[in-house]
Amino acid sequence: MNPDPVLETLNLTKVFPGVIALDDVSLSLRPGEVLGLVGENGAGKSTLMKLIGGVYPPTRGSIRYRGEAVQFRSPKDALDAGISIVYQELNLISHLSVAENIFINRLPRRRGFVDWARLYREAERILAESGMAGIDPRAIVAELPIGVKQSVEIAKALSYDAQVLLFDEPTSSLTGPEIENLFAVIRRLQERGMGIIYVSHHLDEIFEITDRVHILRDGRTVVEMPTAEASEELVVSRMVGRDIQDIYYKGAHEPGEVVLTTRGLSDSVLQNVDFSVRSAEVVGIYGLLGSGRTELLKAIVGARRLRSGEVLLRGRSVRFQHPQDAARAGVIYSSEDRKGENLFFGQPIWKNETYIALQIGRFATLGFTRVAEERRAAAEYSEKLGVKAPSLDTDVDHLSGGNQQKVCLAKALINDPDVILLDEPTRGIDVGAKLEIYKLIAQLADQGKAVVFVSSELPEVIGCADRVYTMAGGRITAELTGDAINEENVLKYCLQTTPSGGTAT
Amino acid sequence: MKLNRSLFSSSEFIVFLALLAVGAFFAFTSPVFLTKFNLLNILLQSSIQGIIAIGMTFVILTAGIDLSVGSVVALASVLMALMLHAGVPVWAVILINLVFGVAVGVFHGFSITKIGMAPFIVTLATMAMARGLTMVFSDGKTIFDFPPAFEFFGAGQVGPISVAVIIFLLYALVAEVVLRSTVLGRNIYAVGSNLKAAALSGIRTHWVLYFVYVVSGISCAIAALVLTGRLGAAMPTAAMGYELDAIAAVIIGGASLMGGKGTIIGTIIGVLLIGVINNGMNLLNVPPFWQSFLKGAVIFLAVMIDSLKNRPNEA
Repeated sequence: MNPDPVLETLNLTKVFPGVIALDDVSLSLRPGEVLGLVGENGAGKSTLMKLIGGVYPPTRGSIRYRGEAVQFRSPKDALDAGISIVYQELNLISHLSVAENIFINRLPRRRGFVDWARLYREAERILAESGMAGIDPRAIVAELPIGVKQSVEIAKALSYDAQVLLFDEPTSSLTGPEIENLFAVIRRLQERGMGIIYVSHHLDEIFEITDRVHILRDGRTVVEMPTAEASEELVVSRMVGRDIQDIYYKGAHEPGEVVLTTRGLSDSVLQNVDFSVRSAEVVGIYGLLGSGRTELLKAIVGARRLRSGEVLLRGRSVRFQHPQDAARAGVIYSSEDRKGENLFFGQPIWKNETYIALQIGRFATLGFTRVAEERRAAAEYSEKLGVKAPSLDTDVDHLSGGNQQKVCLAKALINDPDVILLDEPTRGIDVGAKLEIYKLIAQLADQGKAVVFVSSELPEVIGCADRVYTMAGGRITAELTGDAINEENVLKYCLQTTPSGGTAT
Repeated sequence: MKLNRSLFSSSEFIVFLALLAVGAFFAFTSPVFLTKFNLLNILLQSSIQGIIAIGMTFVILTAGIDLSVGSVVALASVLMALMLHAGVPVWAVILINLVFGVAVGVFHGFSITKIGMAPFIVTLATMAMARGLTMVFSDGKTIFDFPPAFEFFGAGQVGPISVAVIIFLLYALVAEVVLRSTVLGRNIYAVGSNLKAAALSGIRTHWVLYFVYVVSGISCAIAALVLTGRLGAAMPTAAMGYELDAIAAVIIGGASLMGGKGTIIGTIIGVLLIGVINNGMNLLNVPPFWQSFLKGAVIFLAVMIDSLKNRPNEA
């Protein structure tokens, strides 16, 4: 029979002022089991993780760990007891070595000085035990690829003799092989009898790695079932609370004339990129991290310095020197990095939405802003895009990822641009919001816009785009149209680094 | 989750309460404090600090810092004095002085945007260089004796109000309008809030940075004009440590050194708070060494209250 659970939560409830973040959630985790935790943003996943990890205490309910009721007063209490969280943003100190990071705060000492020999020995042991023997404990973290950094983070968690490991969106910045590697590590930990909770937006991962899946919606448990008995559609519909027909809405557009072309675009990353997009067309760009997809979009709007090549807008060479020039010409780039490169935190929704417009002289007379007009336009676009917020004056910090993304889109669309370059518009947002964005992309093309859509999720590129470019190593490796847009083709071309020169239809 | 920032929970309001509290304390402990003469005096003494702090607000809004302000004021003061003694007409002296302020700002802007130096380092270097040049040009001596038309800007009166105070308030008004109601003002907040997002949103971030350092330079030039006129002398050791008072006033007023947050109103209240404390302690005959300590303690408390209030409450 099943062994006793290593971790249980009983009717766990957390109330924040004005919000019930978690409502009566009970789950149990047995040793050697991977439990998938899914739900839209705001469903309560993070709150649940933080309650288990001792970040804050529950309002009601209790946590039982190895058969005893526990009350963690701080993350350190939880760590010491053997519960570790591997967070989405890695908490490593980049200029220190792997070993120092693993034992940070607990560096082995001899007569008051750090015992380096022992430190490296211990680190090596921990890395070897978790199947990461290839990592040099002396390596400086900053110089490691992100996948290896994550392994270090896991090793750090294990160094506390963890019995329970919580993963919070661990793959959000990993590439395919790195994800495989992570799964291999998780499986090994599972064999060693560790209990693992795995939170992810990526359902394919949930299906690959978990034994049971626990679905949350609005802070409550919707259902928990063995993963083998669930289907992707079932999970999505339970998460969103409604049935999903037509996840990818293709719209009814027929691509028109070529609007934007690049010829031989090269810079420090890009190598001789020829690319084009037509009016009323959705062009997908698929490539792994570092393939040059983001650089291409930035180069087009003049946010990167070109070495050679040109950008043509309706046949005329434009060579934008600054994103402002591009915006004036009706070409707008929306960055994937909402917090780092797109939104202004600490500022309200309406101001965020009108920044690009202000730069090209809209909503202003002789440099003075016309606030009433700005607010009217922001209200209109927030409504169009379905931004859910208490008011236009709400700071964007308080919005969920999906709503922040909608604000980014409103900011890009408020000028009614002809060419819209969307960099990973669905990254890190919940399923419901993703569906709305797919639909919006199709609608924009229906209105005759040229839409370029970068994504690292294969199904959405295949599902949304009329034409797909694959990129690798700063080059375009293939252009796919029609039936040639399929998983096999896209993967094949995005992994090769020499251009096929070929076009497949 | 409460999202609306009401008037009563704003940083400015809290500092305003602190100002009232400190004022009330001095009103009870000193019979002179609440007299019209003394209150006007506080305003007058705050006006030079205030002009500098307004420039500093622009810079700090972009997550920058200008450590050179005190030295630049002293250098501008000595340069004006030398020009006046060389017989340059007053209007030309004032004009050249403003051009000098602009030049300092352009130098900072260039070093920060084109060379990529950190604002702290650039302005630290200027602070030392400007003070050094002040000593060189003045030979370490105080320069006296200026035409009355020049001293008018620092010592003149319009009715009961000093010209210095009028300059300060007008300057504050212009600054407030620029920050609140212009695209440029909006862009200044954007650059401080998120530099990369600002550039990708089409904001010419280099020009914005040039602008704020030029504003700071002009503020120093204006402050030098008022200070020299008021003292009737250009002292090479003038305005020592003004950079710290200006930064303190801006931060007390609710701005963040991380950029993107702060207002002119807040800065003015911050300047007045420091002015009231200085004035009140003089009235109460607090020994100078203790004055410095107490002023520091009040700055600490004011910023602490604001920080506690704005501590991110996780949800």
